[in-house]
Amino acid sequence: MSGKRFNIILSLFLLVIIGLVFSIIYYNKPHANIEKSKPDYSLTAQQLIEEYKEQGIEAEKKYSERIIEVQGQIHKISTIKGNSVITLKSSDSDSSVMCHFLPEENTNVLKLKNGQVVKVKGKCTGYLLDVIMVRCILVE
Amino acid sequence: MKEIYIIIINLLVLNCVSAQGKFLTKDGYVSFFSHSVVEDIKADNNQVLSIVDSDTGEIAIQLLMRSFMFKKALMQEHFNENYVESYKYPKATFTGKIMKFNELDELKGETEIVGTLNVHGRDKEISTKVNVEIIKDEIILKGDFSVEVADFDIKIPAIVENNIAKTIKVNFELRHKPYK
Repeated sequence: MSGKRFNIILSLFLLVIIGLVFSIIYYNKPHANIEKSKPDYSLTAQQLIEEYKEQGIEAEKKYSERIIEVQGQIHKISTIKGNSVITLKSSDSDSSVMCHFLPEENTNVLKLKNGQVVKVKGKCTGYLLDVIMVRCILVE
Repeated sequence: MKEIYIIIINLLVLNCVSAQGKFLTKDGYVSFFSHSVVEDIKADNNQVLSIVDSDTGEIAIQLLMRSFMFKKALMQEHFNENYVESYKYPKATFTGKIMKFNELDELKGETEIVGTLNVHGRDKEISTKVNVEIIKDEIILKGDFSVEVADFDIKIPAIVENNIAKTIKVNFELRHKPYK
């Protein structure tokens, strides 16, 4: 009888531990790994800007919080707090796509020059004057 | 001949004055901080858009809620999806005025900034101290203020009530460059 009781207590205890471990893993789940994630959309800087300008909230629903791949010509390379920022300009608009890079991409970004065409993967956060992307990496 | 020089110099000086106009940043910094017994939560936004009209001291700030970066992915997810509802209200804005802006020429000074903050679709009048630094072609604004979560109709579920402070501290640092 006491053996059965012991077993019940032990299994309850194990359940609690398993539950705890899972909730800790869930609580500490990491940010999406940009490098390993497959992009939800792949398009040019110009297409992305046009969609945000023309469709507003529809584009917002489609792209914001998604991992996307954007191709465009480098207009400007700058740094902010030690992280690189590349501005991809579209040819027929004042707006651009501002790509804020992950710190580990710095050495690769610094090799680039204005005018070069690049492909960038990152998370889109929305549109102010420009489309903004964060946690970016260089694809090519 | 002398008069012509004076006219040219005058024109140049006038040009400089009118070139003051608008100052802008696209990578301003805003962070917020919540302290509670259970945990401290901080999020940073380095993609803040801000425009200052140096003639009048008027200021307009916009930021994307989704640009706030949290240490924990889960917090960021909850913040965007459940609390501030970024899919409905993607932006937070502030429009207002830097008081006595023209008296602060080319130096460091403290003044007040007054205006309307809009978060989660709700307006709130804000007035806070701001440090203004005007260096040649840069206008730097730094400061902090506190906001009440309840003022913006942001609902925090009872289960995490103790994890999130009722009053949130907001920090900002905006370095504006002349707008071309």
